[in-house]
Amino acid sequence: MPSDSENIVELRDIRKTYVKGDLQVPVLKGINATVKRGEFVGFIGTSGSGKSTLLNILGLLDVPTSGQYLLEGRNVESLTDWELADIRNKKIGFIFQSFNLFPHLTVEQNIEVPMLYGRVPKRKRQKIALELAHRVKLGHRLGHRPGQLSGGECQRIAIARALSNNPAFILADEPTGNLDEKTSDEIMELFHELHNQGVTLVMVTHNPLLAPHYDKIIRLRDGQIESVEQEKKESGGQ
Amino acid sequence: MMLARDVLALSIHNLLLHKFRSFLTSLGVIFGVGSVIAMLAISEGAKRAALEQIEAMGIDKIIIYSQKPLIDGKSDGGSTSSVVESYGLTDKDVFHISNMDNVDRISTLTNTRKKVLKGLNRTDLKLIGIDYTFLEDSNSQMVDGRYFSAMDFRDKHNVCVIGTNVKRKLFQLGETNIVGSNLRIENQVYKIIGIFHNEYGSQYPEIGAQNDMILIPESTAEATYNNYAFWREGRAWRIVKVENDVLIVKVEELMHIDDTSKRISNYLSKSHENLQDWGMIVPLELLKQREQTQNIFTIVMSSIAAISLVVGGIGIMNIMLASVFERRKEIGTRRALGAQKIDIILQFLLETVFLTTSGGVMGILAGIGIAKIITHYSGMPTIYSTWSILASLIISSLVGIIFGTYPAYKAAQQNPINVLRGE
Repeated sequence: MPSDSENIVELRDIRKTYVKGDLQVPVLKGINATVKRGEFVGFIGTSGSGKSTLLNILGLLDVPTSGQYLLEGRNVESLTDWELADIRNKKIGFIFQSFNLFPHLTVEQNIEVPMLYGRVPKRKRQKIALELAHRVKLGHRLGHRPGQLSGGECQRIAIARALSNNPAFILADEPTGNLDEKTSDEIMELFHELHNQGVTLVMVTHNPLLAPHYDKIIRLRDGQIESVEQEKKESGGQ
Repeated sequence: MMLARDVLALSIHNLLLHKFRSFLTSLGVIFGVGSVIAMLAISEGAKRAALEQIEAMGIDKIIIYSQKPLIDGKSDGGSTSSVVESYGLTDKDVFHISNMDNVDRISTLTNTRKKVLKGLNRTDLKLIGIDYTFLEDSNSQMVDGRYFSAMDFRDKHNVCVIGTNVKRKLFQLGETNIVGSNLRIENQVYKIIGIFHNEYGSQYPEIGAQNDMILIPESTAEATYNNYAFWREGRAWRIVKVENDVLIVKVEELMHIDDTSKRISNYLSKSHENLQDWGMIVPLELLKQREQTQNIFTIVMSSIAAISLVVGGIGIMNIMLASVFERRKEIGTRRALGAQKIDIILQFLLETVFLTTSGGVMGILAGIGIAKIITHYSGMPTIYSTWSILASLIISSLVGIIFGTYPAYKAAQQNPINVLRGE
């Protein structure tokens, strides 16, 4: 029986070494971390800390050189390309720094893209897209295209898109990096709302100012975990 | 993996985003298919016209004709002496040939070489003596009045059946009672008993188009003119004696028409002592030759088409490869959102196939348009066959598959990691 303390993500001694010619460049040097269901976790690190590589591994876009990655208890080590794409589609909701919306698609169509790859029938796709657009407070913008929206609105659409297949966790890469301070606050507020609704959030950022938002702060430095700070006391169930 | 319908919609959507670029990209295929369709239509039209001409002579026939022999060093012009020129197919030849194996019957045409005059207008109409079987063996039909009866032949009546061109040239438009009226040719009067028409406008060597003929019974012609024709040319008299101008030999078995024609040819060479005063046409042979040239033409055309489609295809592949590079971020995002490699491959492959197929459709329309314009301005018949249109469609789709596979594969191989961070 799954409990609230169930680990969504469990990283065990994750290492990644790039080989350039004769040179071996270790980027991740043994990362151990967990993300529990419903947690809001922030990986904070400066550039060169290995956070991009960690993000790619967390997002199943890259494989570690060694170590184990358990996603909802399942080891993803030896999965095929097909299975990885399927997990990305169903278990991970990606949010990018530059939104990565499709400019020629409407808001509604953008939200539907992951469902397209998940073979969700058209009717159901439209219904979910409408619900999610309302959830990110852009229900009135369904027919617009990204070019007609502000940066903050674009990121809201991207968040709606990330939620569309009801993933195990949201993986956000510097989601406020391209936004001004005010919009940035609004987006963080939206994340908190989702968090309160029980969505598991993993954010990778360089921005130490966002630290107060997280339940758990994992600071990366030089490919290693420098510190783990638990901001709030986990109640272990509500 | 995406639903098929969704991949289709996505590919079309992407193409329509860049309408002008898509059009330019498929231009190679448009030109290739268009020129092929147009040229096929022209050659098919020409072929059909030629085949009709050949078939009109009858594929179960051998046409033998008399021709004036070429004699070295002798020129007719300016000759002051009167000579009887006697050449061509004799009645003896007809008798021999008619007794050969596989020869069903022979229909003979004899040109009286009489000048048919109407008022002051000299016309190129011919007065021809024919057999009873002529009408059937020449694939002609009566359009008015009646054909000769056995009685007309037996009693050598002065009656004639005229071709439709004769009617047009000798009579006013709308003139009635042509059948039943009299036609005067030199000092003879012939009663017109009917009008015939050859719908193919077929012609016989040396004596010309059937529809230009005034037919009289062979027996009448022989009794009246005795196979001699003579007229004054300058100071001299020209006297020509040709017993038979054209023989239409009908064979019993089409299979052996080759042997029969060879036998006739051997016989005539021998009996005419190698004097080339006769010629032979085997319509079936012509048909076969025509088909052979057509095959060569088709091969040449197909090669040109293949080259232009390969060039068009390479152009499309080039653009698609550039497009894959340009859309790395889109591909990476799609992969992150759960697109399988096969989704990416299908998306790009379908885009290419749509490009080439729609190029093919436009090419077909352009080709038909060009053919129509040619027919309109030059009167040349053009025919576009369903199979050529269908084949063009299939081939242009195949070009899309062949030249779209590599770019699509390249697209699926894009590593999403490289494109997802930053701009």
